[in-house]
Amino acid sequence: MSQTVEISLWQLALGLLFILIAQVASFVYHLGLNRDITVGTVRTFAQLFLMGYALTFIFQLENIWLTLGIFAVMAVSASFIVQGRVKEKQVPYMLPTFLTMFVSYFVTALFVSGLVIGVVPWWEPRYFLPIGGMVIGNSMSALAIALERLFREMRQQKGLIEARLCLGANYKEASSEMFRNAVTAGMIPSINAMMGVGLVFIPGMMAGQILAGADPLQAIRYQIIIMLMLVGSTATTSIITMLIIRKRCFGRGEELLLSVSDK
Amino acid sequence: MSVLLEIESLDFSYENASSPVFSELNLVVNQGDFVVIKGASGTGKSTLLRLVCRLQAYEKGRILFKDRSIEAYHPAELRRSITYVAQIPSMVDASVKENLLFPFSFAVNNCMKKPSDRMLSEMLEQFYLQDVSLLQQARNLSVGQQQRIALMRALLLDPEILLLDEPTSALDAASAAMVFSIVERLNARQGKAIIMVTHSNRILGNISPVVYLLENSKLRRI
Repeated sequence: MSQTVEISLWQLALGLLFILIAQVASFVYHLGLNRDITVGTVRTFAQLFLMGYALTFIFQLENIWLTLGIFAVMAVSASFIVQGRVKEKQVPYMLPTFLTMFVSYFVTALFVSGLVIGVVPWWEPRYFLPIGGMVIGNSMSALAIALERLFREMRQQKGLIEARLCLGANYKEASSEMFRNAVTAGMIPSINAMMGVGLVFIPGMMAGQILAGADPLQAIRYQIIIMLMLVGSTATTSIITMLIIRKRCFGRGEELLLSVSDK
Repeated sequence: MSVLLEIESLDFSYENASSPVFSELNLVVNQGDFVVIKGASGTGKSTLLRLVCRLQAYEKGRILFKDRSIEAYHPAELRRSITYVAQIPSMVDASVKENLLFPFSFAVNNCMKKPSDRMLSEMLEQFYLQDVSLLQQARNLSVGQQQRIALMRALLLDPEILLLDEPTSALDAASAAMVFSIVERLNARQGKAIIMVTHSNRILGNISPVVYLLENSKLRRI
C-alpha cells in the first residue's frame, strides 16, 4: 500500500493559483465576485484549519461528553440552516424539526459506528463525529427541501385541501399527496446519489480515504455503508418530521392554518 | 320545524384588525329553511359559513348543530353533515366521475354506498350537465360546469345543511340561473336546509327565503 503524500504549506499555497484564475475571470468579465471569492478563500482556510486543530484536540482527549456536545452543536447548527432555507412564519416547525433531527441522527450514527463498523467505544470521536457530520449534512438538505415543498404545496393547494375537508376528509386524507410529494422530493437526491455513485462520481469520503492511502476495496465498503445510512436516515427524518409538521399545519378543528398570502 | 343550527353571541375578529367581523351575532336555522345572507364585500359573509363548518376557529360565543356544540363533533363528521361549497370550485386532476366519487374513499364516508354510473348520469342531467360525460377531464370544464359538479359532489353525501358561498359569482347569467334553479329545487323538493351567501339581487322564484343583511358585525333580517 502506498504511503500518504503529505501536503506542505507551500504546496497548499500553490492551490491559490486556482483562486487567482477565478479572480482574474471575475475581473475581466465584470462578474462582481472578487470580494466573495476572497472572503470564501479566507474562510475555507480559517474554518478548516480551526476544525483540524479542534478535531486533533478532541481525538486526543477522547471524552464522551465533549463528543456528544459537539454532535449536539452540529445538530443545532443544522436546524438553524434549515430555518434559514425554509421561510415559514405561520407554523412553528423549529423545535420538532430539531428534536427529530437530533434523535434520528444520533440513532443512525450510533448504529453505524457501534454496530456496523463495531467501533469500541461506540462514541470514538474519530468515527462518531465524521459519520454524524455526514448524516446531518445530507439529511439537513433533504429536510429543507421536504419542508419547503410541504409548505408550498399546502398553500398552493389550499382550495383543494379545504374542498376535501368539506367532503368529510380528515387532515391526513386531505393532504395525502402533498405529504407524499414533500417526502419524495427530499429523498430523491440521496436515491439519485446511489444510482450515480462509482459511475458518475467518486464520493468525497471515499476519495479522501483513497488519497490518504487506504485500500480502495476497504474504502468502498465504508462508502456503501454511508450511502445506505444516508438513504435510511433521510427517509426516517423526513417522514417523522413531515408527519409532525403536517399535523401542525392544521388546527383543533382540522382547519388548515396556512393562509395563501402570508408566509 | 326542528332547529338544526343555532349561532349565539358569536364574536370573531381577524388578527390586527381594528374592528370585529362579528360581534354578538345570532342566527337560527330550522330544518328546511332557505337562508340567504347578503351584505357588502368584506363584511364577513364567507367567514360566517367557514366558522359554521370549522374551516376557521371562532373566539367567543356558541355554534350548535342539533343542540350540540360543533366542537363536540369530530370535524370530518361535522363537515359531512354541514357541507360547504366554496365560491371557486376545486377539482382534482381526473375525470368527472373520479371527482364525484373521491369523497367516498374517506374513512368517514366508508359506510355510504357509491352511486352507480347510471345514477350519476341521471344526476348530471338534473344539473343541466347532459353534455358532460363522466369520463371527461373535470378541469377542462367551464367554471359554471365545475361549480355544478362541486354542488353535485356535495349532495351525493346527503348533508343536512348545505352552505353555499356565492355559488354564482363567477358565472354568466345562464349558468347562474341554472344553479339557482337547482338550489331552489333542492330546498323545495328535498327540504334541504340551505344557507347561501350571495351578492345577487335575483329573488328566488318558487320559494321564499329568509333574507338577512350582514352589516356592522351583526345579521339583520330584511
